[in-house]
Amino acid sequence: MRNINFTKYKYFTLSFSFLAIVFGFVVTFSKYGGFAHSLDFNGGLRTVVELSKDKTRTDLETYFQSKKIEAVVILLEKEKNIFQLDIGLGSLDTIESLYKEIPEDRRESSTSAIDRFVQLLRFEFNLPKEKVLSADQVGAVVGGELTEVGITLLLTTLAIILLYLSIRSQFKFALASAIALVHDILMTLALIGFLQIKPSVPIIAALLTLLGYSINDKIVVFDRIRENAHGKDNLALSNIINVSITQTLGRTINTSFTTMISVVAIIVGGAAELYDFAFILLFGVIVGTYSSIYIAAPISEIYDQLRKKKFA
Amino acid sequence: MQSYRLLLLPFFILVVSFTILFPNFADRTLNVVVREDVYSLPEADQKALVSGLFDRWEKDYGKNSGWTIEPKGSLPPRENPFYIIKGRFITSAKINQISQENQNLVNESKNKLEPTWIENMIRGGKSLSIKLGLDLQGGMRVVLKGDFEDYTNKLRDLYAKEIAELNLTLNNPTTKPEEKEKAQNRLSEIESSFDLSPMRKIVELEKAKMIIDNRLTTQNLTEPQVRIQKEQDAIEVSLPGVSNSAAILEILQNTETVEYRLEEPNPFTYKTIIGDSERRMMDLGQREKTDIFLFQELVKNKAGKKAQDEFLAGLEKKYNIPKDYKVYAMWARGNSAKSTLLPRSFVVLERKIALSGNDMTNAQPSYNSNSYGWMVSFTLTPSGAEKFFDLTSENRGRNLAIVWGDKVISNPVINDPIAGGRAEISGSFSEQEAIRLANVISEGALPIPLSVLEMRFIGPTLGIESIEVGVKAVAIGFFLVMVYMIFYYRLGGFIADLSLLVNIVILAALLTLMDFTLTLPGIAGIILTAGMAVDANVIIYERIREEIEEGRALSIAVTRGFENAFWTIMDANVTTLIAGILMIRLGNGPIKGFAITLCWGIVTTLFTSLFLSRLFMELSVNRFGIHHLNLRPFFFGKKEGKHA
Repeated sequence: MRNINFTKYKYFTLSFSFLAIVFGFVVTFSKYGGFAHSLDFNGGLRTVVELSKDKTRTDLETYFQSKKIEAVVILLEKEKNIFQLDIGLGSLDTIESLYKEIPEDRRESSTSAIDRFVQLLRFEFNLPKEKVLSADQVGAVVGGELTEVGITLLLTTLAIILLYLSIRSQFKFALASAIALVHDILMTLALIGFLQIKPSVPIIAALLTLLGYSINDKIVVFDRIRENAHGKDNLALSNIINVSITQTLGRTINTSFTTMISVVAIIVGGAAELYDFAFILLFGVIVGTYSSIYIAAPISEIYDQLRKKKFA
Repeated sequence: MQSYRLLLLPFFILVVSFTILFPNFADRTLNVVVREDVYSLPEADQKALVSGLFDRWEKDYGKNSGWTIEPKGSLPPRENPFYIIKGRFITSAKINQISQENQNLVNESKNKLEPTWIENMIRGGKSLSIKLGLDLQGGMRVVLKGDFEDYTNKLRDLYAKEIAELNLTLNNPTTKPEEKEKAQNRLSEIESSFDLSPMRKIVELEKAKMIIDNRLTTQNLTEPQVRIQKEQDAIEVSLPGVSNSAAILEILQNTETVEYRLEEPNPFTYKTIIGDSERRMMDLGQREKTDIFLFQELVKNKAGKKAQDEFLAGLEKKYNIPKDYKVYAMWARGNSAKSTLLPRSFVVLERKIALSGNDMTNAQPSYNSNSYGWMVSFTLTPSGAEKFFDLTSENRGRNLAIVWGDKVISNPVINDPIAGGRAEISGSFSEQEAIRLANVISEGALPIPLSVLEMRFIGPTLGIESIEVGVKAVAIGFFLVMVYMIFYYRLGGFIADLSLLVNIVILAALLTLMDFTLTLPGIAGIILTAGMAVDANVIIYERIREEIEEGRALSIAVTRGFENAFWTIMDANVTTLIAGILMIRLGNGPIKGFAITLCWGIVTTLFTSLFLSRLFMELSVNRFGIHHLNLRPFFFGKKEGKHA
């Protein structure tokens, strides 16, 4: 059996991950002042309009980009060319100033943000009143409690994994898996912040999926390590880890590859609103696989060495 | 070692699953009911309505669906006023859309999707098709505004008694100063509770939101989104795939309370005055002019609560009822048990509420075989029991009326004090009414009356093209995964694909049985399930291959492979399952939707990969006489190992 030395790079990979996470969060909070706003989390304006046949999604998106309005464009009905436009609360000031630029005779006076936005749309896209099918100020679908729930959920999940894996195998493996799991979540959040991806319900779904995938992957790898380490406490753990990862490599490649097939199909298929979802999933599969091999395994080894030193 | 007989089990499970899933693919019949008033419209208007429906039919509903509609292009006859639509995949969103877009033609609350035989058999006609969430198919959105004025009036009624007593204390010259101060403090405390600050309003809305949430959950809507719109003092409810919005609206808005009020003391001065005046009218042969007749007309014409309240307030003025009393109608059935519940006479009750619904809990409807009618028995809270005992001991011989909503449903005489904290309400209820009354008592009433601010059918949060592309992509992805598995593991891959398909079918059937509403996060959960199922098979085959490479006999290699992989798969799935259960417990909306599919997916995955795959594999090795198993990819694999 060939044996690939995975743990050789442990200090490099651990520092790389750490720096990547720090870098992502620093950029997120210094350059952008936090995560992107989104309708699902912060509420905003939602309108549904029926555009004339010569207008496309691109026209809308170009317009919003040029005016620096945060908008999510969704095509609801192809035949009738009906679009749903979601505007984040961050763009309200922009909308107000644009509204004031509309010639007086072309606009009705209105005080509410949603009315102003409708006026603006009607002016820019020459829409008669009846083509604006609905316009509402909407509240957040997922309230502030979601962050709280998410953190509670993550901590309890970690506790459970620690407990279950400590019982089933050894504490060092449980600890390493839990740390690697936190690493995956942080890494993905850093990416979401760095790329200013709008957090939304599909993104939450992607994060949860990645969490599940990652747990599964780590346990499979560590099960093999545990099996190989059985009764060989005096052997260097790094050797056992390398052998085990090499043995499970075929399975790791196959599983991540088959999972990626579906995800890539969504990206290539061009479902505009699912793009972020699939992108996060793709990233998650890669990070989840990487962290089992290059984060979790080395951590368990380092922990093992420290412990042996202590008792030596 | 394995026998063919074991194959019966998966076969049986598959048959059951397909049977459960049958309504999703079956030809369905939808009856769209035409509103009665359409038939009395001028012909030109009728034509306009009908052409409106059929224009859209050509363009939209019936375009690519292959549905048929009868009668086509005209109104159905008056004695049989429905359009009959037949076809596959008639989603609730479509039914809603048809109703909403043709509001003046279609009587939405009566539309009916005919149940299939399987639904009749195991569900008593209740739907068994997979529901899609708002994000996938759109649905109803209702915004309900809190009516705080009405709320304060109710509060005043509730505190009327205490305020009167406090005022007596204050105005009594013999009261000690410290007691006066106490009374004054309490009085201002009560007064301040009538003053609704924005904070208070939010708190009340939160309470209402919780009750609405509960009501919707009992309606089998797994992911209704209920949120508070602070700016408008309103609650916004999104109902994915609701096919009967009128009924749901009634459930949402139902602010019926149940309370006890004492009737005016014997000799019923005011009731007699009203009764005498009504009788005089009758004697003059002017039945149509009697107040009770007018009131019944209001009810029959569904004039609404406001009109009824105004009418009764008018009576209070007309007969100079003092302000400590209120006029109510006593509702009962006619002579037959089947006739409708209608107001039959007026009674005058004390304005103050003797015992409110908050003091009652845990109600059960039951059939009383002595009186051949339904009744509702309930438990009183400890403080409620105390109040009830005091009330019944202080007021022996008086009538205690039970007010449900605005209806007095019975006013029995208090014969003896009632202790023990249990009581019952018997009236002339039908079973349905008894259940409703019990629900009102058990769930608690909405703290504030809600009026509909807007109600609309809204589109999905994902565009139609995204859904189409997404579904296609996932299907192609699945197909590619299956091809890859066969390419890589040959026969093993085929068996893995088979068990993956069975897995998805069983999972879909389970979710359908649970009335689960599928949303995008739910689909993500299914994708993860499929990924983990494939992974389980990969782990197993890698293990079998190792055994074969060590030169073991094939049947032993297969058995050992499964045994070695067993705990790995168990560990991975159980850990994920625990995380999933936590998500169900802690999570809401999207998290919950994901977790439910994931958890059930794990259950089906364990069954299909550890039992089904093994059964197929061992059967092929031991029974079908397959003598060597190559688990190496085509073209790339090394030479297969020799079997001993």
